[in-house]
Amino acid sequence: MNDAASAPMIQLRQVVKRFKTGAGEYMGLRGVDVDIFPGQFVAIVGKSGSGKSTMLNMITGIDHPTSGEVLVNGVNIYKMTESERSLWRGHNLGIVFQFFQLLPMLTLVENTMLPMDYCNVFSPLERPERAMELLKMVGLQEQAHKLPAAVSNGQQQAAAIARALATDPPIIVADEPTGNLDSRSSEEIIELFNQLVLQGKTIILVTHDPSITKRSTRTLILADGKIINETVAKALPLLTHTQMLKVTQLLEHKEIPAGNTIIYKGEHIDYFFMIAEGEVEIVFKPAKREELTIARLGEGEFFGEVELVHGGNSIASVRAAPERSVKLIALHRKDFSEMLVGSPLTEEAISRIVQVRMAENRSVDRRGRWW
Amino acid sequence: MIRPRWRKVLSDLWDNKMRTLLVVASIAVGVFSIGMIAGAYEIISKDMSASYASANPANIDMRTDDFNQDLIDSLSNVDGVKEVEGRRFFSVRARVPGEEWTNLDLVAINDFNDTHINLLLPLQGSPYPADKQVILEGQALDNLPVEVGEEVEFQLPNGNIKKMTIVGFVQDQTTGAGDFLAPPLGYVTLDTLPWLGQPTEYNRLMVTADGDSNDIEHIREVSSSISDKIEKSNRQVYRTELNKTNEHPMSSTVEAILGILMALGILIVFLSSSLIANTLNSLLTQHLPHIGVMKLIGARSQQIFGMYIVLILSFGLIALLIALPAGGQAAYTLSEYIASKMNFNLQGYRIVPLAYLLQIIVAILIPLAAGFIPVNNGSRVKVQEAISGSGLSAGKASYGWLERLGSRVKWITRPMLISLRNTFRRKRRLLLTLLTLTIGGAIFIGVFNVQRSLEDFITKTEKYFIADVTLNFDRPYRVDEINQAVMDVAHVQHSEGWAFVSADIIRPDDSVANYLTILAPPVDSKLIEPIMLEGRWLTPGDKKAITVSEAIWSDFPDLKAGDQLKLKISGQEDEWTVVGIFRFISRDQVIGYATYDYISELLSLSNQAFSYRIVTEEHTLEYQNQMSATIDKYLRDLGYHVSETQAGLSTLETASESLAILINFLLIMALLTALVGSIGLTGTMGMNVMERTREIGVMRAIGATDAQIMKTVIVEGMIIGVISWFLGAIFSFPITLLLSRIISLAIFNSPSEFVLNPLGFIIWLGLVLILSAFASVLPARSAARLTIREVLAYE
Repeated sequence: MNDAASAPMIQLRQVVKRFKTGAGEYMGLRGVDVDIFPGQFVAIVGKSGSGKSTMLNMITGIDHPTSGEVLVNGVNIYKMTESERSLWRGHNLGIVFQFFQLLPMLTLVENTMLPMDYCNVFSPLERPERAMELLKMVGLQEQAHKLPAAVSNGQQQAAAIARALATDPPIIVADEPTGNLDSRSSEEIIELFNQLVLQGKTIILVTHDPSITKRSTRTLILADGKIINETVAKALPLLTHTQMLKVTQLLEHKEIPAGNTIIYKGEHIDYFFMIAEGEVEIVFKPAKREELTIARLGEGEFFGEVELVHGGNSIASVRAAPERSVKLIALHRKDFSEMLVGSPLTEEAISRIVQVRMAENRSVDRRGRWW
Repeated sequence: MIRPRWRKVLSDLWDNKMRTLLVVASIAVGVFSIGMIAGAYEIISKDMSASYASANPANIDMRTDDFNQDLIDSLSNVDGVKEVEGRRFFSVRARVPGEEWTNLDLVAINDFNDTHINLLLPLQGSPYPADKQVILEGQALDNLPVEVGEEVEFQLPNGNIKKMTIVGFVQDQTTGAGDFLAPPLGYVTLDTLPWLGQPTEYNRLMVTADGDSNDIEHIREVSSSISDKIEKSNRQVYRTELNKTNEHPMSSTVEAILGILMALGILIVFLSSSLIANTLNSLLTQHLPHIGVMKLIGARSQQIFGMYIVLILSFGLIALLIALPAGGQAAYTLSEYIASKMNFNLQGYRIVPLAYLLQIIVAILIPLAAGFIPVNNGSRVKVQEAISGSGLSAGKASYGWLERLGSRVKWITRPMLISLRNTFRRKRRLLLTLLTLTIGGAIFIGVFNVQRSLEDFITKTEKYFIADVTLNFDRPYRVDEINQAVMDVAHVQHSEGWAFVSADIIRPDDSVANYLTILAPPVDSKLIEPIMLEGRWLTPGDKKAITVSEAIWSDFPDLKAGDQLKLKISGQEDEWTVVGIFRFISRDQVIGYATYDYISELLSLSNQAFSYRIVTEEHTLEYQNQMSATIDKYLRDLGYHVSETQAGLSTLETASESLAILINFLLIMALLTALVGSIGLTGTMGMNVMERTREIGVMRAIGATDAQIMKTVIVEGMIIGVISWFLGAIFSFPITLLLSRIISLAIFNSPSEFVLNPLGFIIWLGLVLILSAFASVLPARSAARLTIREVLAYE
């Protein structure tokens, strides 16, 4: 899941954010742990009020966590003063807002030059040239000397992206960047983000737009101030966010060394397993015949559901793939049953998979193969 | 139970305390100044003259040749005379041993228990000095810090130094009350005079008139009879001052100055109303969404209008609660200050109903007038306009001169451009802010110009006092003889004898219009450089020819050079030709110049003179004082009867000091105006910052540090300051003209010329930059403190 050996660029450690309002306390984030690696295109999704913008504010240093740590490139940004953090942000983060937030008294090119002025990057003579290059990149060279009020919303957002890139920061953060745009403009903006990923930028954005989540390398779902386990979200997409969160909270984590058996054929099974990292092999040994690896399951796939739904003992052995250890998350039989009761759609989907796998099993049994 | 809409008004008042404070302060400043000045005007105009009258002031105050009780007795029988008393005045220098010398006039009174005119009010210690003791007038303490029982050194006109004990302090509200230039006074008994080298005779006559002592014509008639009688006794009258009993001689001057202060007060009200308009405009802009929601649920424009009018009235009432008592108190404090400076007493603390009424009107009507347009516009806004927008304000779309400036002037950085363009974003607000700061600045610069023009006026007047030492004898001496004697004193360069004579100016109906002191220098004298307004100066061979000071115009407004004037000299009336009219500091007294040759012949004193003008090597007051003493002693030792020696600059020095007090007073008012201006600027910058919090959040988000945010705000404030400086510099011209005209007319009875003082422009530039920086620091600090989350508030 992470990009190989590289260290995380952004780390959130047990981040809690409590807001005090007139109506009492309100938990924005309830102990969030996330690692984001260089070059990732991370989409943060969640319902309104789930804490996604709060989480973004933690990453950008716009708001203080009540407890926990935020490290960006190894730096604890909450040990800086607000003013130091601003400068740090100018150098390290480019921020794109839903409502563009271009300063209305500056032309597009002046808006683009502003972060360079504030952070004193590039020589004063180079700044106009760089700003024009960035505007050209986002297709605005013709509009460079116009005031924001004189261009369309899509063009304003493109200019805001140019501004976010002005100091050449490694991270671009965007909050609903297409939330206020028509579909054509949205498409152009998403395309710009794609290009930035190709250039090696790390991109984190909060969005409701499925066309963005589809293209992201990673999707973080927030519900009720917590991050939903990414494997659960992938394996059980038909659960509601609240159900996913509930499942996340009931999970048991297991790590199995490479080649070790997880389930033996004929064994009684009490867990529903989802693969978080690595691969497992489904192994079948027909009577008096050589053992057969009939399938490899990878990240986001699951096993054990046939026995839990259909009853009976394991119909095949499952072991960690020989190349590397495998990380599993397991849901107890009782919790699994409750989950299915709560989500008929998931039950139906899993039943279909069970039927398919059962049919396949019978056919392998006949042909000496699993499916 | 309060209805919800009035609850909203209450919460609007309470929730944004800073804004409420700003509006209330804007209103309160105006209400306060009006209350203070109107109250002081009323208190002073009543108490000044009442206090003066209570001391039974002399209606006639004459400087004459020495006289004794016999003359007083004979004058008490003159028609129209109620009381007559004599005093002896002579100038000395006084000091606490080891300290600096200061000028003082000593007044000798025969019987302190039996004076009826110019009554002294005991302040401390004994009101009656014994032999070789002194009591001091309270104001002498400004220059002579002593306590009762201390010894003070007095340098006499003959140069000798005598020590006397100060036994008490008194207040003398009347002597010299009309004279800005009068030195402070000390009082001794007549018996002390011989010890002080003075004859036991009087040289000053104080008379109160019987009948209507407030009719100046009546007083003049009595005075005329008295001066006739004095002249018949072979004595000369050198100067006569006439005063009404119930009118302080300075009351018109003080009222004129209070008039200026009143004008400034009205200006402050006007300026504060522009602050109110600004704040209400911004409040309505902030409240647009509320208005939209209220309209959405059925409120009519009228109801919304009513709500905001009640809000404005509440601001006014709160301001009134603060400013009404404060203004009343300040009115009394200001009156006390003026009373102490002008040496009169107030009748006690009191409330001035008229001032209170004015304050109430100002507190209610001005905010209503200032708020009407913004409230009216705000309450009529359409629902859709009211509820919209979550990004930054749209801003303008057109590309103007400010945008061109950014692309053409390469060295202007973007943060600087933000400050510059922000300055011009709210044009109406900018205009109102500029108005307050500009007027404050114009007045400030104007006051400096006025100071310079008054000083110039005095400097020009010095040209009438070029001599370093004025030497007077109590008998005439031959001019050659005295000149020779004086030239023998080291460091004396020149000496000349002047004649002088007192004359009555006679109207065509034979009544006395005024008194005229005629000075008669040698026709080629270099010791006078007159500023001619009309006609010419004296020429050799002039006979019955006179030049007169412009004060003549108050009695003869149509008089021109070449006209005839009937003068009565030593009982003889004659027609004189006015050959020229010149400018001179003068309140009521007319001064004239004629040639020495003619006047000495007229007085049958050819080649003789009572009075001499001497030029020494150096011309500082210090040196002149020193030379006066030296010459005085030298001539006395030779047996000449010197009556007085005086340094040329001493009178002018006192005049400058008195002017300095006035100028300081005006400067304080100018600073107050500037203060209102900077409160206005603080308000404007506060509103600008408040409206631009989102933009500031964005700046933070893209890397602006505290210092950079503050700089953006402060530079904007300073740009406004600099613009206001330019405008203030321009508007200072008419203000200077107006102020200097009113003031110099009030003090000198003659208009001074327009003079520019670069210092005023420079100091105001520095001050406005500092003020505008300070005015922006507070909003800038709060801008820098805003966290981005507060301002961008996504969720």
